[in-house]
Amino acid sequence: MGNLSVGMPPTIHPPRRMLQRHRVACYLAIALAGSLASVTPAAAHVGTGLPGGIVSGFEHPFVGLDHLLAMMAVGLWGAFLGRPLIYALPVTFPLLMVVGAALGMFGLHAPSVEMGVAVSVVILGLCIAFAFRASVWAAYTIVALFALFHGYSHGVELPSAADPVGYSAGFVLATGLLHLSGIGVGLLNGLRHGVWATRGLGAIVALSGCWFVYRALGQ
Amino acid sequence: MRGGALPPAFLCVSLGLALAPAERRLGMVGVLVLATTATVIAVVPIPRGWTDTAFLACWLSVALNSAIVHLPRGLGRSGAVVSSLNAGVWTGAMIAPATSRLDLVIALPCCLSMFLAAWICKRHGSIAVKVVSSWLIAIAVLAAALQFLPVTPGYLPDHIE
Repeated sequence: MGNLSVGMPPTIHPPRRMLQRHRVACYLAIALAGSLASVTPAAAHVGTGLPGGIVSGFEHPFVGLDHLLAMMAVGLWGAFLGRPLIYALPVTFPLLMVVGAALGMFGLHAPSVEMGVAVSVVILGLCIAFAFRASVWAAYTIVALFALFHGYSHGVELPSAADPVGYSAGFVLATGLLHLSGIGVGLLNGLRHGVWATRGLGAIVALSGCWFVYRALGQ
Repeated sequence: MRGGALPPAFLCVSLGLALAPAERRLGMVGVLVLATTATVIAVVPIPRGWTDTAFLACWLSVALNSAIVHLPRGLGRSGAVVSSLNAGVWTGAMIAPATSRLDLVIALPCCLSMFLAAWICKRHGSIAVKVVSSWLIAIAVLAAALQFLPVTPGYLPDHIE
């Protein structure tokens, strides 16, 4: 992580109307993120297995905090990096996640998937916390690699008996919406001290990732 | 299970997104071609053995239409007609073996996503349309891969359990 920039990005002072618009969008994004994060594992995780359909596919990315944080972090980091990565990362992630899911579904053995998922949370959190201005290709590579791990762990769980098409649709849609909510939270950057707030969120994500790593080491 | 009305609905949505940047008149021609072809094919008795082929072709068409959204120039006149014809054939082929023709009534209106996408593109929101189309590609690739699986270990305890 030698290229991490610890300096604060240049402060931007957008016009008042734009700030108001951003503020409303921020409140909406925070409300959305809060409501998504409040889904309890006990209530939602019953969706895996045979009765899987579009609803259980949609619920699935929300119930694992590691997945949820990583996907929101992708959107948030994209918002930090600006164009073209603000939309390129949410485009790349689901596509590569599907490749990982296909590998999982075909039963290919992947070593330490849990560790890969946990490390992705740490790295993405650190990228946000240190405002890491990665080059386009570096950002693509990081996100693509982690997308494979996340996709793999979902792919091995894809239910075949009930409605696998609905399950896949729900799961990709939910992933995309998590990215969008991350981008929404990234709009905080337009507010006064907003950059510090998002970097603080990145630090929290990274710390949570450390817990996931610890848990994965214990398995 | 083949997803019921979902695959043809996704195909119609993807065609709508692909037609969004085209002229309004061309888009309407595309919708008309889609509706006519799908309705005709849906009533033709299709051999049961073709279901897998239709399913695969449907998802490949979803991926293709969604990829067209990312092209800088979008669809030309002939491209729009060919894409609509292709979408119509596979929409109809997916509906034909289904027990209910109601799926066609559910799927076809999804091509009206064209108007919503065109409205979004006019307001400089083409990025949103591209992001959604990439989700459709992801869904299509995943769904197309499903039928090549020897077994899906979905009944196993997952990584959280």
